[in-house]
Amino acid sequence: MNDAFSAILANVPYLLVGSFPDGPLGGAALTLVMAAISAVLSAVLGLAGGIGLAMTRGVLHTILLAVIGFFRAIPVLMLIFWTFFLLPVLLHINVPGLATVVAALALIGGAYLSHSVFAGIVAVGDGQAQAGLSLGLTRWQSMRYVLLPQAIRIMAPSFINQWVSLVKDTSLAYIVGVPELAFLANQVNSRLMIYPVQVFLFVGLLYLILCTSLDALATRLLLGREAVAEPRAIVTPLPVPIQHRK
Amino acid sequence: MIPINGWLAPKYLTWLLQGFGMTLGLSALVIVAGTLGGCLLALARTSRIAPLRRAGALYVLVFRNSPLIVQLLFWYFGVATLLPEHAMTWLNTPHVIDLGIFRLHWPSFEFVAGWIGLTCYSITFIGEEFRSGLSGVPAGQHNAAAALGLTPLAAFFHVILPQAVRISTPPLFGQYMNIVKNSSLTMAIGLAELSYSSRQVDTETFKTFQAFGVATVLYILTIAMLEVVLVVVQRSGARTAVRR
Repeated sequence: MNDAFSAILANVPYLLVGSFPDGPLGGAALTLVMAAISAVLSAVLGLAGGIGLAMTRGVLHTILLAVIGFFRAIPVLMLIFWTFFLLPVLLHINVPGLATVVAALALIGGAYLSHSVFAGIVAVGDGQAQAGLSLGLTRWQSMRYVLLPQAIRIMAPSFINQWVSLVKDTSLAYIVGVPELAFLANQVNSRLMIYPVQVFLFVGLLYLILCTSLDALATRLLLGREAVAEPRAIVTPLPVPIQHRK
Repeated sequence: MIPINGWLAPKYLTWLLQGFGMTLGLSALVIVAGTLGGCLLALARTSRIAPLRRAGALYVLVFRNSPLIVQLLFWYFGVATLLPEHAMTWLNTPHVIDLGIFRLHWPSFEFVAGWIGLTCYSITFIGEEFRSGLSGVPAGQHNAAAALGLTPLAAFFHVILPQAVRISTPPLFGQYMNIVKNSSLTMAIGLAELSYSSRQVDTETFKTFQAFGVATVLYILTIAMLEVVLVVVQRSGARTAVRR
């Protein structure tokens, strides 16, 4: 057991940053970078999708729902395969595995957040939208200045959930060989050979620390101090009208 | 633009269908075990015994905040070293149980590891859906049942549970859909399910578009089927409620 401890301890820097100063960034640091980029992209896509759902009617609305439904119905892994295969064909350049994974995660995260944003806007209520219109605002202005600022607070918990689950989902990059935490864990495991239990428990613990601290940080930033005083348990997401995944 | 060069040979379609069967079988088993485990977890989390509540909360914290892929790798590589030697050789050799008309094959170790890993992961989500269903039943219902003279157990089974099931049915089906989608991750430990076989067909034939296309359509069909089942279940539930 002591041997296992020192063997893993020797690999901790590698698991955290990969071969960083000498080589490309990897490990937990790369996991965080990928999660951060896809978090921003999925938030942008989710806002656009949610506002789109709220502003459209009829055929356009149905098409938008179908597109979002498509991304919600296929496994992340399948979408990673698609982007891995289609992006180079469409863009005519060699796209690194990392970019395809980020693109796939952003699309799926965006699809999930679209429904949360839409639900948030609906929850603010028609009365607010009509009040905005009767003040002489355009539909877009009442969305921007009346509905969205109120909806943001309702949506915040689903954004936080989505971001935390993004940290976990970056581990899918393992399949296409991006040297993030899960990939390096497997590498370290096959190099040490005799400590699989300890290696994967340790990596699981690293993810646990990443996810819970990110959750606490995001809650503090987005919901302010009163939410911290009245803690939102990590394990119980606030009821969101739309079914939440994972 | 996208290279489409003919359709897939029947052989490769068979591979994909076999993978699809594996996905369906694994998901079904995970759904059954996950639902049972989820019930137990929800009961533990709402129990009056504090250590049981804390154990449930710890379980959720650990299994929910680490990625499924790491958990699967743990079950596949880690547990194999923990189990005694003869148990591993038993698991790795094929076993057949004769049940008269058909034979039951004991699945591969990949399948068992995938099933346990997916189940342990899904239990947290299903358990939390049940728990929010239980807490969604208004407190007045408990009091009303007590006032009618029902014992706590009878009140739970005849008053609280039916309403909690009704509340948690739609999110529960959302979790079932996630199980189907998450089953794709078992390809990381070498289980030949749908994603794995689509990748295999792709490398054999270079007909990437067709291989991934078939797999994608099959996944969407499965999700759509679950959606239909949900609607049917909700309708029939509503009908019995009216009849009563």
